[in-house]
Amino acid sequence: MAQTISETGISEYAAPTTLAEAAELMADGNATVVAGGTDLMVQIEAGRRHYKDRLVNIRRVADMRGIEIVDDTVRIGALTTVTEVLNDPLLAEVAPVLRETANRFASSQLRNMATLGGNICNASPAGDTIIPMLLLDAEVALTSWQGAPRSRYVPLADFFTGPSKTVIEDTEILSEIRFAKPKPGFEARFRKSGPRPALEISTVSAGFGAVVGADGLSGVRIALGAVAPVPYRARKTEAFLEGKALSAEVVEEAAGIAAGEVTPIDDVRSTAWYRTHLVRIFVRRLLNPETA
Amino acid sequence: MTLKVDIAFTLNGRPVATTVPADMSVLTMLRDHLRMTGTKYACGEGECGACTIIVDGQSVNSCLMYAADCEGRSLTTIEGLRNADGLDPMQDAFVRHGAIQCGFCMPGMIMQAKYLTDTDKNLTYEGMKRGLEGNVCRCTGYKKVFDAVAEIAGIES
Amino acid sequence: MTTKTIAKTSVIGARVPKPDAPDKALGKTRYINDMELPMMLFGKILHAGRPHAKILSIDTSAAKALPGVHVVLTGEDCPTFKFGMARDNVPLKTGKVLCVRDEVAAVAAETEEICDKALSLIKVEYEDLPGVFDPEDALKPGAPIVHEGKEDNKNLHYLFEKGDMAAAEADSDVILDNVFNVHYVTHCCMGTSAVLADYSVDGKLTIYSQTQYPYNFKMDLAPALGVHPGDIRVIQPPVGGAFGSKLDVYPFEPVCALLAKAARRPVKLVFDREEEFINAPTRQPVKIHIRLGAKKDGTLTFRNVDNLLNNGAYTSWGPTVPFVMMRTFSSHFRVPTVRVESQSVYTNNPYAGSFRGYGNVQATYATSIQMDMMAEALGMDLLTLSLKNAQASGEVTPQGSVLNECGFAECLQIAADKTDFTAKAVKYAAERDKPGRIKRGIGMASSIHNAGGAKIHKSDGCGTILKLDDYARATVITGASEIGQGIDAVIAQVIAEELGIPLSDVTIANDDSAIAPWDVGVHASRTTFIAGNGARRAARKAREQILNAAAGYANVEAGALDLRQGWVVQDADGATVMPLDRLLRKMHFQKDAELVMVTDYYEPPSEEEAEGHVGDMSAAYSHAVHVAEIEVDTETGEIRVEKITSAQDVGRIVNEMGLEAQIEGGIIMGLGYAISEQLQIVEGQVKNPSFRDYKVITSPEVPELDLHFVETMSQTGPMGAKGIAELPTIVIAPAIANALYNATGVRIFDPPMTPEKVARAIFEKDAMMDAAE
Repeated sequence: MAQTISETGISEYAAPTTLAEAAELMADGNATVVAGGTDLMVQIEAGRRHYKDRLVNIRRVADMRGIEIVDDTVRIGALTTVTEVLNDPLLAEVAPVLRETANRFASSQLRNMATLGGNICNASPAGDTIIPMLLLDAEVALTSWQGAPRSRYVPLADFFTGPSKTVIEDTEILSEIRFAKPKPGFEARFRKSGPRPALEISTVSAGFGAVVGADGLSGVRIALGAVAPVPYRARKTEAFLEGKALSAEVVEEAAGIAAGEVTPIDDVRSTAWYRTHLVRIFVRRLLNPETA
Repeated sequence: MTLKVDIAFTLNGRPVATTVPADMSVLTMLRDHLRMTGTKYACGEGECGACTIIVDGQSVNSCLMYAADCEGRSLTTIEGLRNADGLDPMQDAFVRHGAIQCGFCMPGMIMQAKYLTDTDKNLTYEGMKRGLEGNVCRCTGYKKVFDAVAEIAGIES
Repeated sequence: MTTKTIAKTSVIGARVPKPDAPDKALGKTRYINDMELPMMLFGKILHAGRPHAKILSIDTSAAKALPGVHVVLTGEDCPTFKFGMARDNVPLKTGKVLCVRDEVAAVAAETEEICDKALSLIKVEYEDLPGVFDPEDALKPGAPIVHEGKEDNKNLHYLFEKGDMAAAEADSDVILDNVFNVHYVTHCCMGTSAVLADYSVDGKLTIYSQTQYPYNFKMDLAPALGVHPGDIRVIQPPVGGAFGSKLDVYPFEPVCALLAKAARRPVKLVFDREEEFINAPTRQPVKIHIRLGAKKDGTLTFRNVDNLLNNGAYTSWGPTVPFVMMRTFSSHFRVPTVRVESQSVYTNNPYAGSFRGYGNVQATYATSIQMDMMAEALGMDLLTLSLKNAQASGEVTPQGSVLNECGFAECLQIAADKTDFTAKAVKYAAERDKPGRIKRGIGMASSIHNAGGAKIHKSDGCGTILKLDDYARATVITGASEIGQGIDAVIAQVIAEELGIPLSDVTIANDDSAIAPWDVGVHASRTTFIAGNGARRAARKAREQILNAAAGYANVEAGALDLRQGWVVQDADGATVMPLDRLLRKMHFQKDAELVMVTDYYEPPSEEEAEGHVGDMSAAYSHAVHVAEIEVDTETGEIRVEKITSAQDVGRIVNEMGLEAQIEGGIIMGLGYAISEQLQIVEGQVKNPSFRDYKVITSPEVPELDLHFVETMSQTGPMGAKGIAELPTIVIAPAIANALYNATGVRIFDPPMTPEKVARAIFEKDAMMDAAE
């Protein structure tokens, strides 16, 4: 077996069961957090991350689970697994795009293990579950210990600072994701490159959300994955579409603006050309689902 | 040296108490520590499914799970499938349908198949194909695996 | 004793589960990756990780001092005997590294973790040298020299010529001239490379190896170790896949043996997956420049081919694939005039080995696509063109292959009829330029392959030892290796058929070179044919001995007797005479005791290639035809394969289930080659050494498969059977390529047909069309 277990320097291990316990364990900034483990194990093996002195297994923190609506705010515990998102009846009703995305995530085994919080913190530019959450204007709760657990809320759109980089501090845990229950008329859709239905680091992923009214779109959100250093809000495209009614010309122009505002790279998976090509196609299809 | 953690959990229906390094994976624990080599290493990064086991009723890639997190949980590995009469019906179906060639991916494949049919009583053929997407096989082309799983799931091919 | 009657039945053609399947389903089977010997150490290799450099110094002192480390070796510690096909490789390198794989040092330690730590403590100082990665660059004057003594970087060269090429070209009404660049793929055996070496105190080596050619393996391994091949015992535990990747000695095996020798303890060395992607041999990439000529009535006139092979830094089987490519170019369809010249050129790339289909995958991509192009150029449909040029039984190809019991035309007809090929091809082509982003396409391809081995060694034979015990249980000790392909089931069927005993009473033993007789190895689709024939001949000898004894006891002619369901019976009416086990005990416990123990060595009726590459070098040949039906999203370039229809000449169905399993698996493996798999090697570095970025086919991508078997009843094959396992991988890619063209008007000459490549090709074609308007 090839797992490297050498001088990792872990000198403490804890598996807290409450958010307060977990936050307190993070207070000195000397802890590595593990939830599902789907990213951490891989990153450690690859040498991209190293353990701090304390390994904190937060998977058993009961108050980081659960999905509920409180005062028109949808609250999802950060430990919610992708499988739970896929199967949850509440989310199926209020934000079906999350379920659509969960259905395109990795594999059955990884869906069972991976948590929404973990996926967000891993901050992959291609992070699939992040795209729909951007469409929903989600915020994340970052909880730290200040005599008691205290949370600050950061809009997801402001959370990412670079590939695998976020604003989260060493003393913080991402404990919850929340978003306002979408307004009536809100539609959201997600697309991802294939040909595999799921087990694929996206060459390009794309999401569209807006309130579709009689005179046009409002609250337009276009989110793109794997075409920028972070999961990307295509703000120029959004601005263009805001208030407009969808016609063939508008769709085509929007697709063109989206293709123009992204900065994809060539890498082992794909090229800038193809990624830009797909952005145009996906935005077109997201705006005009009959053509999909 | 890495900290060692005491854990107690249920493995294939029996209690296990042992001590593992804090950063050891469940796969390494099973194979190297507990000498149960049925579960296989084939990629170590959750991309191939050969290490699939069932934990608290859900299939997982044991190469990515921390052994320390087994505490208080219930694990089933391929070694735990056979029943008193012999092969588990899923194992037997794989044999009868010719779904096994080199066999290396099969413990993981069979565990995932079992998870699918245990948790979804309305499994469709397409659902089954999707459900196995995290299990790579190089020998069979998957077709006879589908035949075996479809039989157990009661799906008309 | 009451008599009963037993009717004659047959297990040939039955659906037989593999005997080893239950243990595999239980997770009980121990692969080398699972094995442990007492006092065993673990071994790991330090690879150079750079494509071309001088080794200035290696400091192993810190590694040696690490607690738990037993041995650290470098090239200085090892015999300098060279091994490999071209004797150009050594286990641990000194002086220079020539590719990223190069094994610079190795350690044996008590755990794998300590090995990894020790490797990180080995300090190697390199002076990087300019590398050469493209064979065309390597041929230019002034190019970096890969091997001393081969200043022009040229390695193996093959030439086959038949007929007057100039005349054939002049005689042609249409000539196509195309270049195909086929790519690096890798086997992705689910069980990574693993080996366990154990020396006895008197210096003899037992090596637990994944090899698929154990006897020649001993011979090929010996020079790397400085050991007599007779002192090497090869044991073959069950393997987690092979597909041709285990048909040669690769450095990790002698390195492990050297570690074991130095440590005086058994050493197991296992690759992790990343190491496997980088270090396991690949399929041989080739640049194929091919010209095909035809008369306007569709008669093919010539093929003229130049192949340029990227040899990589060392020579395994990869650069020998022209040997088989020649056969495709000269024998795929009736082509009277042929020239095939192939040159391999050293580069600082990782190197290729053998891989299911062995050159024919590459060659058929070219020949089958060109046939489709020729049909279009001639204004003929592909089926008509194919049938016109398909050989009939008894025809002899330009290389001297005699196509006995040839099923080519039948396969073409079946595949086309079952899919309504011609009508659909016309219909879909007409839709091509109409609006609509999803297009459907249908494509056909075919090929010919050896089906009875390929005489590439002095012997292409297989030894069999058969014994029966006092309970009529048979043990077959065969030289044939079981690598997951199901030869165990086939041999059991052959024995059960001849001796009339249940399948479950037959044990196959074939995993120890100290016990089993010689076989040249699993390759060239030879195992069913040759090991099957060997088993049948041994079984017939046993049967003769048994029936003669029975005749004596029963006072009848041996010819009047048969063996059925564990009984000796009258052949005419099936009336029982005596139980077989009772007979065997009588034979054993009598004054002139007789045990049934027979041996056989079967050499198939094939010829070694003579000068000029002419010879009937397989004991049989067969054909397969695939029709692929696909849907293409012309914007994203994604191909969705809906259905594959296959018609293959199998000679005779022996194990119907095993046959299907091999063909299904072969098709899906070839499908990956066609549309998604590519080992990206850039400047000698493997860029995608993981399943995340090397895309094998996964379960949701599997299309509908419709398999048809043509039984041509080979006169030489066991019960008429032919070898089958490579053709399915060979034929599928051009079928898809032709379907893509049918759907979109785009041809991909450099597979794989990834979405990006297809999208780009369509985009550029549309841009050209727009510009033309």
